[in-house]
Amino acid sequence: MHPVARLVNRNLTISLNPGFLVWQVVFPLIYVFVAGFAYSSLIDRVPFGGRDLAYPAYLATGMIGFNIMNSTLVSGVIIWNDRRNGMFEQIMSGPFTRTHYILASVLTQGIVGLASAGLIAGLGLAAYYDQAEPGLEAIPLVVFAAVTGSLLFGSTASIISTRLKTSEGFNVMINTVFLFFAFVSTAFYPAAGAPEPLATAFYLNPLTYLVDVVRAGMLGGGLTDLVLAEMAALAVLAAGLFALATRLLTRLDF
Amino acid sequence: MQCIRARSLTKSYGGAGRPAVDGIDLSVGAGSVFGFLGPNGAGKSTTIKMLTTLIRPDSGDLSVFGIDALRFPLEVRRRIGVVLQQASYEPTLTVSGALEKYGMMWDVPAAERRRRAGRLLEEFDLSEIRGKRNDDLSMGQRRRVQVAREFMHDMDLLFLDEPTVGMDPAARRALLDSLRRRAKSGLTIFYTTHVLAEAEYICDEIAIIKGGRTVAAGSPESLKSRFGSGREVRIRVPSRDGRIPALLGGVDGCSVSVDAGTEIRVRPSGSNEALLRVLRVLGSHGIEIDNLSAAPANLEETFLRVVEEEPGAPGR
Ligand SMILES: Nc1ncnc2c1ncn2[C@@H]1O[C@H](COP(=O)(O)OP(=O)(O)OP(=O)(O)O)[C@@H](O)[C@H]1O
Ligand SMILES: [Mg+2]
Repeated sequence: MHPVARLVNRNLTISLNPGFLVWQVVFPLIYVFVAGFAYSSLIDRVPFGGRDLAYPAYLATGMIGFNIMNSTLVSGVIIWNDRRNGMFEQIMSGPFTRTHYILASVLTQGIVGLASAGLIAGLGLAAYYDQAEPGLEAIPLVVFAAVTGSLLFGSTASIISTRLKTSEGFNVMINTVFLFFAFVSTAFYPAAGAPEPLATAFYLNPLTYLVDVVRAGMLGGGLTDLVLAEMAALAVLAAGLFALATRLLTRLDF
Repeated sequence: MQCIRARSLTKSYGGAGRPAVDGIDLSVGAGSVFGFLGPNGAGKSTTIKMLTTLIRPDSGDLSVFGIDALRFPLEVRRRIGVVLQQASYEPTLTVSGALEKYGMMWDVPAAERRRRAGRLLEEFDLSEIRGKRNDDLSMGQRRRVQVAREFMHDMDLLFLDEPTVGMDPAARRALLDSLRRRAKSGLTIFYTTHVLAEAEYICDEIAIIKGGRTVAAGSPESLKSRFGSGREVRIRVPSRDGRIPALLGGVDGCSVSVDAGTEIRVRPSGSNEALLRVLRVLGSHGIEIDNLSAAPANLEETFLRVVEEEPGAPGR
């Protein structure tokens, strides 16, 4: 087996524990089915692409994007744990290079991102299937979102992992980033209707682009100029953050 | 044949400042157990990190198995095993799971992994805790897993940086014996410890470093005879005699201390002839001797002397 494949195998084994699965699968499903339907009495319809959507369908597709971010932030944390548990040094003293380690971490994040996007898309189907209008572009768009999203958020977590020294600092940082990305976005609610500075802030957040792309694919919003611009932004941000994460990881001292 | 050949390795942390390693030369023969000793902060772990290609020296040359380790670090790493001073473990895996996963990382075939893991669980007395998560282990247990894990893969050279820290006496002894066995069948071992009895037990060659520089090197026997000659001799006299301090104060070539009771401690600074002079002085004044004893030279004493007397890097 190739060294990168061996590292991916190892990364997946150490991260797929019951706690991770609850966080990745059970929580998002509770959101989709409990919050989605419970909020329906408050939020009747959500305007989307010239039509009105039921809130559960809006939320379920938002959760696909949310889950890509959530799971890859968590898998980006592998680097932090490896440093803390001495495994980074141990791996680097074995038959691997830093490039192997970085590629493996990206691939792990990509696999986890795709799997969780697929899981929520599949298991959450009941919440949105009557509203779904997946065109030919649905699958490529969700895959694009999963791949760029994984790179972007995985790299963000890696950057935080390499820069911070204390557990407290690390936890505060990861949680702040998580809260901002998750709640200042269109994953849970539309930007239209939010008070002005907030509505703009929604569009300074890559998770918004991510869920917009997912919704364009799953709910038939189509490739509007906005979605195309968001895809371009995702690609640029993912590439930039990945380059930075790689640079930092390559220079990380023992 | 030389397994490690290092020339003038230097390393400073944070660029300027006093170097952690200041021009170390090493030559480790294939199949030997090489002990690398020195006080805290001497630069042992830093040297190990350079030898294992984890960090790059600021200057110097390093060849391992005849490979230029600075140019082809991966080639070197493929053939070495490393137990660093820092603990390393996979918290979420069980003990046997961690062994097998580590074997997988080294590309050991699945059947062979299971066989080796089973054997190592026995050898390191881990069978009882094989199903426990690494997170839940005691410190010494975790260290045993870390050391055992390294034997999941084949290697020609093994680095151990204070492997026995936290291990109980039985585990220590079992590890040392297993290292001896493996060295007999051709494995080269680079071993660091502060327990000098361990070094004395397994090492063929020893280097003592201080302040990033080598201050003594050789076989344990040669070091002991070189640095152990000035060891202390204790002379016991039957009763207290007020004349003794004045009589012995003038003897050249040794330092003498007399306690309030009946023991005289003589520490020859050069050859043992000073001791003969002491005995002659005592005899000529009719002072009888009850007992005379010299502590056998051991590596610990030798180490303490070397570290105390050799300057190492200036300012340390
Ligand atoms: N990452 C680091 N950053 C800065 N200085 C360091 C670092 N690691 C080690 N040092 C310094 O380098 C010197 C040598 O440290 P090293 O860890 O090599 O010593 P050692 O001989 O292994 O000591 P010990 O017996 O305590 O393990 C020390 O003065 C130490 O403070
Ligand atoms: Mg050390």
